[in-house]
Amino acid sequence: MNDQIIFEDVSKFYGEVLGVNRISLSIPPGITTLVGPNGSGKTTLMNLMTGLVQPSNGRISVMGLSPTNSPELFRILGYCAQFDSFPRGINGWELIFDSLMLHGMSEAEAFELTQESLERVQLGEAAQRKIAGYSKGMRQKVRLAQAIAHHPRVLVLDEPLNGLDPMARAESIALFQELGRQGMHLLISSHILDEVDRISDRVVLITGGYLVAEGSIKQVRQEVREKPMQVLIRCDQPALLAAKMFSVNHCVEARLNTDERGVFLRTGDIDQFYSMLNEIAAEGLVKVESVAPADDDASAIYQYLIGSDGGAS
Amino acid sequence: MSVYKHIYRVYDGKVTPAWARVFVLARYGFNEGWSSKITIGLFTLCLLPPIVFLIGIYLANNPIARALMGFRSPQILTIDAGFFLKVLEIQSWFALPLASWIAPRLISFDLADNALPILLSHPISRFGYVLGKFIALFASLSLVTWVPCLLLFVYQSYSSPLPWFAVNLQIACGLLAGELIWIVFLSILGLALSSWVKWRVMATGAIFAAVFVPAGVGGIVTGVLRTKWGFLLNIPFMMTSLWQRLLGAPESARASFSLPTESIATMLVLACCLSIAMLNARIRAREVVRG
Repeated sequence: MNDQIIFEDVSKFYGEVLGVNRISLSIPPGITTLVGPNGSGKTTLMNLMTGLVQPSNGRISVMGLSPTNSPELFRILGYCAQFDSFPRGINGWELIFDSLMLHGMSEAEAFELTQESLERVQLGEAAQRKIAGYSKGMRQKVRLAQAIAHHPRVLVLDEPLNGLDPMARAESIALFQELGRQGMHLLISSHILDEVDRISDRVVLITGGYLVAEGSIKQVRQEVREKPMQVLIRCDQPALLAAKMFSVNHCVEARLNTDERGVFLRTGDIDQFYSMLNEIAAEGLVKVESVAPADDDASAIYQYLIGSDGGAS
Repeated sequence: MSVYKHIYRVYDGKVTPAWARVFVLARYGFNEGWSSKITIGLFTLCLLPPIVFLIGIYLANNPIARALMGFRSPQILTIDAGFFLKVLEIQSWFALPLASWIAPRLISFDLADNALPILLSHPISRFGYVLGKFIALFASLSLVTWVPCLLLFVYQSYSSPLPWFAVNLQIACGLLAGELIWIVFLSILGLALSSWVKWRVMATGAIFAAVFVPAGVGGIVTGVLRTKWGFLLNIPFMMTSLWQRLLGAPESARASFSLPTESIATMLVLACCLSIAMLNARIRAREVVRG
């Protein structure tokens, strides 16, 4: 079976409103994050992938399966929608147990897997309470538990960190990382760019229904050539280093760090920049303590490619 | 580049066949429908007429009991196709409020709570979802329609001193067919209207309206155009005609307006197709907010 999620020239229009337009993507296993402003088409892309909406054009394949084949697809896929909606009057345990029964498990297996998934999201004690009485974070957790309960190969999570307190957010991220490391295919949409950096193997940037960039954050950043890369170098003589760099490299901006023990440099040619820095360090004129790219994170590429901070927090 | 330890195990145990999962939904639907005290109340009400008919059959077949009750004539109650037509009609119309109450509980809640995306994110199709709900409603209506009707028929066969069963088998077949047609129609109509009216009370009213309002329109058509075809919009009239023919009961006084059975069947099929189209348009895991 194919182990990729493939979008081939996929478009979706809601009447005259554009959902997504001509998306072509190939998503390998690991954690992939969909990043984009509100209304950019992230949820549409997830709904298309899960077969909950049908594409106007193009073809989608999830591990070799068509999303139209929902009975087969949902055996290998778990979906956690962003909306706070549940069947009326049920408690957390019932939601997961009923879900597993719909997946075709026997009652004994459904019982065991329900317990396992509730423990995984640390919702064991609250499971017997009605979902209507849950906090937003608990609702997120029970949705996540429902999505992972049947041990899917692919997990699609729409804004799974919304509404979680810092502790629950850290726990969820740890769970995603663990699942990703174990070989699961995770597709996550998020607005929280700091966390996108921490958890993602790949990002997919989307805005206005159009795909803007895809790949690892570093790869994407390197391809944004019109925006010179910024590097923070901590050293004993930042002013001297800046002067040297300006004389030999395509540096376009230098800014001393507030503690005067470092300098932010922007360069149009990062490879030549690093080679020059090595030479300067080797000459012994400047004692370099550390070198760190300052703008090869999700927030920076979001700003460069989409043009705002996207409500990043 | 991450190094993956592929220790994650996908579930590879046995799963039930797809058709069995439909019964999971049906079972939950049944529980949902019967969790209301009003459902229990309506059900109890629906069982009162069969008890009265049961007493009638007992009296008709027991001269001593008749004498004790002061009924001298053995003709006081004749158990025939006309009797069972009354049973069938009364039970069928009692089933309407029950369907109007249960159907919205099965679908309107899911739609109002936007729970369809979470339900359809399972290995179950939209058809499976509707079928599960349909089975729940059909089973609920069966308890007050063909099941008590056939039990009364069996009791009459048992009580009658004459060889009654074989001679009147058409009545049993008519009861079964007439009630099945009615509850299939009522279930599909009830689910379709519930899927379009999110407010449950309104959905209940809409089901009643869908049965009786077209009859009024049909009456106007019949009166203005001086044609019998307006009765094709009159569901009570059509069903009564159909039941009479299925049971072999004498046609009513309005026989001059009798409609061909094929026309009645066509109208019922059309109404069911329209209801299915309504369900198809509505039962979707649509999330309208784009993000």
